[in-house]
Amino acid sequence: MNFKVPIFDVKNLNFKVDNQNILSNISFEIFKAEYIAIIGPNGGGKTTLVRMLLGLEKPTSGEVKIYGQKLKDFKEWYKIGFVPQRASHVDVNFPATVEDIVKMGRISKRKLFSKSLKKDIEAVNDAMLKMDVYDLKDKMVGNLSGGQRQRVMCARALASHPEILILDEPNTGVDVVSQNRFYALLRKLNQEDKITIVFITHDVGVIADDIARLFTVNEKITVCNDPKKMMSCDDMSKLYGIDAHLIHNHRHEH
Amino acid sequence: MLEMFQYDFMQRAFLVGIVIAILASISGTFVVLKRYSLMSETLAHSALVGVAVALVAGYSPMWIALIIAVLSAWLIEYLRSYFSLYSDSVLAILLSGSLAIAVIIISLGESFNNSLMSYLFGSILSVSDDDVFYILLFGGLSLVALLTFSKELYFIAYDEEVAQTSGIKVKALNFLLVTVVAVIISLSIRVVGSLLIGALMVIPTVTALQFKKGFFYTVVLSVIFAILSVISGMTFSFYFSLPSGATIVLSILSIFIISLVVNKR
Repeated sequence: MNFKVPIFDVKNLNFKVDNQNILSNISFEIFKAEYIAIIGPNGGGKTTLVRMLLGLEKPTSGEVKIYGQKLKDFKEWYKIGFVPQRASHVDVNFPATVEDIVKMGRISKRKLFSKSLKKDIEAVNDAMLKMDVYDLKDKMVGNLSGGQRQRVMCARALASHPEILILDEPNTGVDVVSQNRFYALLRKLNQEDKITIVFITHDVGVIADDIARLFTVNEKITVCNDPKKMMSCDDMSKLYGIDAHLIHNHRHEH
Repeated sequence: MLEMFQYDFMQRAFLVGIVIAILASISGTFVVLKRYSLMSETLAHSALVGVAVALVAGYSPMWIALIIAVLSAWLIEYLRSYFSLYSDSVLAILLSGSLAIAVIIISLGESFNNSLMSYLFGSILSVSDDDVFYILLFGGLSLVALLTFSKELYFIAYDEEVAQTSGIKVKALNFLLVTVVAVIISLSIRVVGSLLIGALMVIPTVTALQFKKGFFYTVVLSVIFAILSVISGMTFSFYFSLPSGATIVLSILSIFIISLVVNKR
């Protein structure tokens, strides 16, 4: 596996709002096919960090490089799939079938004035199959359960054949059975399709066996390179005010 | 019913009306989904400033209305994306500001009350051959722009930030949409009138949304409802000598109410 060129290269990132530090001195790299979980207390800056990776927020200082390029020069956004926090809270009246939503994922790949090709249809069907939502394709998204919607949003992100998937707590308000099903699908994407996954979650214990590294974000970042040895991470997490039970809540105990 | 087509002005009014119905309902779909319904009202009032200026200065109202509506659309989008103002307050401020300016200009030149009425509420008598030509030309261009970028605009309406992270030029396309909407509104003031065009943009889509279909069928339904209301509105306008904008809006309102009843569970 090529671990040489990082997908994300973040150096000395700072973010201030009204002179208050939200993120201080953040540096890390994310490599191909890694599975990274980001945890941290609410208001600790996890979402802000991810928004800066995606260019939705500009850092006060520091730099984000993506595939070796500065964010503003980066053009191949189809390589990045983003599933936002509100994935499971969709406007119920929005006129969209599951297929409509997943098709949106192909737009970043399309060239102007080219029609929807066979390739697009295949990619959309493939993404729906992968996330177990193919049978729902003609249903209105507004009528789906939280867990189904979450998988649809993920299928949309997968339709552009991304190399990295960034998920910001897409599982808020989703029941445990659906969540575990979702985690299993993510594991498969990471292990079989070698898709890099960056996952902001409150539920790190359940996916502890899947992840390669654990980032704890609370203004500063702490990188835990061996999440299976939870003790050292556990101590760190306590330092940053995170409930230890999140980490002890291991999948095998479920 | 066919006797009304013996008149040239009716043929022109119907042609223009149907073109406007198609344009207003397609652009209206994006406007409604972006929670921008008030924008069409605001731009219509800006267009009214153009009409007032043109009537006082003796220019063609459609052109001046078009220029002022487009400038106003850009101002709205600029304020919305570069300042952290609530977009509905921006719209409300511009709406009343435009109306105030229009009223002052209108009061300064007192001699055109009749023609003003037709620009406020629409008139099937007033469509000239020149109007038809320019409405087809600019309407055609607007339609091409909307259809070319319909997928992107739909995505932006669904989730602006996720669209941006997919590499879609959100700001540029938002400017494109408001420009096209401003153009369509200016073209519409002849037959629908500047105070009523907002309804023709918003109500067909809101009606179509009642049927809870996907994107494609929602747009198709909204176009059908808009065309139906323009045809029936103009027919009423012809036989009862009423302002066409008002009869069109009442027609689309009736369709909306029927759809509410039909879709009530």
